[in-house]
Amino acid sequence: MLTVDALKEFGADTEDGLARCMNNQAFYLRLVGKVLEDRNFAALEQALSEGNLDAAFGAAHSLKGVLGNLSLTPIYEPVKEMTELLRAKKQMDYQPYMQVIGEKVAELRRLADKA
Amino acid sequence: MNGYNDYFSGGKRHVLVADDEFINRELLENILEDEYDILKAEDGEMAYEMIKQNRNTLSLILLDLMMPKLSGLELLACLKGDSELKGIPVIVLTSDQQSEVESLKKGAADFIPKPYPQSDVIKARISKAIELAEDRQIISATERDELTGLYTSEYFFRYCELFDKFYSTIDMDALCFDVDHFHVLNERFGIAVGDEILKSIAERLRTIFTDSDCILGRKTADTFLVYCPHREDYEEVAVRASQVCEELPAAIKIRIGVYASCDKKLVIHSRFDRAKLAADKIRNNYSAFVSFFQEALIEKELFAEKLVAEFPKALSEKQFQVYFQPKFDVRGGKPVLASAEALVRWVHPTLGMISPGAFIPLFEEDGLIARLDEYVWRGTAEKIADWKTRLGISVPVSVNLSRAEMYDPKLVELVECIAIDNGITTKDLYLEITESAYVRDADQIVERVKDLRTHGFFIEMDDFGSGYSSLNMIAELPIDALKLDMKFIRTAFEKQNDTRMISIVIDIADYLGVPVIAEGVETKEQYLELKKLGCAIIQGYYFSKPVPAEEFEKFLLEKKVSEG
Repeated sequence: MLTVDALKEFGADTEDGLARCMNNQAFYLRLVGKVLEDRNFAALEQALSEGNLDAAFGAAHSLKGVLGNLSLTPIYEPVKEMTELLRAKKQMDYQPYMQVIGEKVAELRRLADKA
Repeated sequence: MNGYNDYFSGGKRHVLVADDEFINRELLENILEDEYDILKAEDGEMAYEMIKQNRNTLSLILLDLMMPKLSGLELLACLKGDSELKGIPVIVLTSDQQSEVESLKKGAADFIPKPYPQSDVIKARISKAIELAEDRQIISATERDELTGLYTSEYFFRYCELFDKFYSTIDMDALCFDVDHFHVLNERFGIAVGDEILKSIAERLRTIFTDSDCILGRKTADTFLVYCPHREDYEEVAVRASQVCEELPAAIKIRIGVYASCDKKLVIHSRFDRAKLAADKIRNNYSAFVSFFQEALIEKELFAEKLVAEFPKALSEKQFQVYFQPKFDVRGGKPVLASAEALVRWVHPTLGMISPGAFIPLFEEDGLIARLDEYVWRGTAEKIADWKTRLGISVPVSVNLSRAEMYDPKLVELVECIAIDNGITTKDLYLEITESAYVRDADQIVERVKDLRTHGFFIEMDDFGSGYSSLNMIAELPIDALKLDMKFIRTAFEKQNDTRMISIVIDIADYLGVPVIAEGVETKEQYLELKKLGCAIIQGYYFSKPVPAEEFEKFLLEKKVSEG
């Protein structure tokens, strides 16, 4: 189960995130749980594998907004950097980014799944 | 500025959050739901639909720029290009500075960056944008009507719109109060007295609609508007409103048009147009004080408008057809075809056969009737000529002249030309002039009819008995036949077979030395009775309904055979 302390340890700026949730902890944690269901992670991966940078940008941009609003810094930062590169349609290997993002999402999932 | 907030205390304004990300929508709703009612849309198209549906009640739109189906900037362009939607302020949600500037240029009121700033900042920006938009709406209108102290119409409408934004769910009625013949009052007693009456009415309305959720305004001279929560007691309201008039030297009547539980999807003006339409329906009806708007009213009006609008096309495409109904001389042993009446039918390509009762009165009002009549006269003259040459037989055919045409100085020339153009004589074309045409400006009309007769036309006075001609005038009428008003036939045979009125008309015709034509004869019983009473000519379904020219030919051919 997610806790604010666990998220803080994960690297999230929980104070900032909670403030956007009017300091309602349960509400904040519920929304963070929802991030794991966001289909844009899969959409981003798919678009990159197809070399479709426009679609990849759309997915990354959406994720950036959500992650920023919940202050999930460890995932937000690489997504934000990627978004800018994709906006500029930079042809490069995005795998290192995807790897970091994948690891951080997995870590968050483990926190959520922990009994 | 807090005036409106005080006035509409308790209600919440409506804000639409359009963002494809669930989490972003939830965050904003959580921040705003204490102060606003939140609507949510998850893509651009859905947002657009919701905005259109709630255009009268929406106070603000929070718009994400990157959304599927229709992007935020595209949606913004749609809104700003629509006069009904462009007044709703839009705040753009975005994380790119580039887009912020672009949105502002395209008409956004403000932007909120992502990640969202503190909730206080969001709330302050939203409240400011709404305030500015509402101020802009209100400032352009002068608030109070000087005479009555009620809202001026422009302000009234704005205020109603604002009210809807706070209380979109309240069932509201749009009312229109009108004073019958107010201008007469002004003329008889002077404007000062008229003004006093208007002030008293305004005062009375204030005592009837006391709740803070009623909005009162004055539109024009004697038209008052009220927007109030739905109620059922309008008869009682009418009585109380009319009490104002009791102290007046002349009886006046206040009528109320009610558009109850109005459809808030309609713009505010249209709702009051409907109330006005209902009020006008009982103008001059002294026993009705309250009239409710019904959809049928608008349909009827729209239908009428459509017919008038389509008239030129219908005329050029020859959608109007001339039908002929035979008239039989029944004085002898066997009825003999004597003449016919030309009647117009509108065969509409999509609506089918339209009854003349539906369009003739409209065209008479619009003055289009002159063009239609001329079309019928020409069509009739052509047919008579065609029968003469092709079948070697014809009968005179009567056409109708409307009242307005009787004033046309070129009338005689025109009808004569039509006859000459088609190679027939003025004896072949009978003219039916309704009795009511003679009643007003009798001298002028009588002169015109005399002129037509000197040119050889045969004049039938149509609808005789409906027009209240004076007996005095009848004696001098220049006519060749009297055509009995259909209503005589109907009443005579429907009610206890009282044919005395018909006998009187026949006596008048005898005195004038002209034959009587009975139309609308439907049964054998009616036919025999009219024949016995001394009617010379009979027209009606008993013999034949009006038929197309080709079908009418069989009557001509029969006549030709019987005459050998």
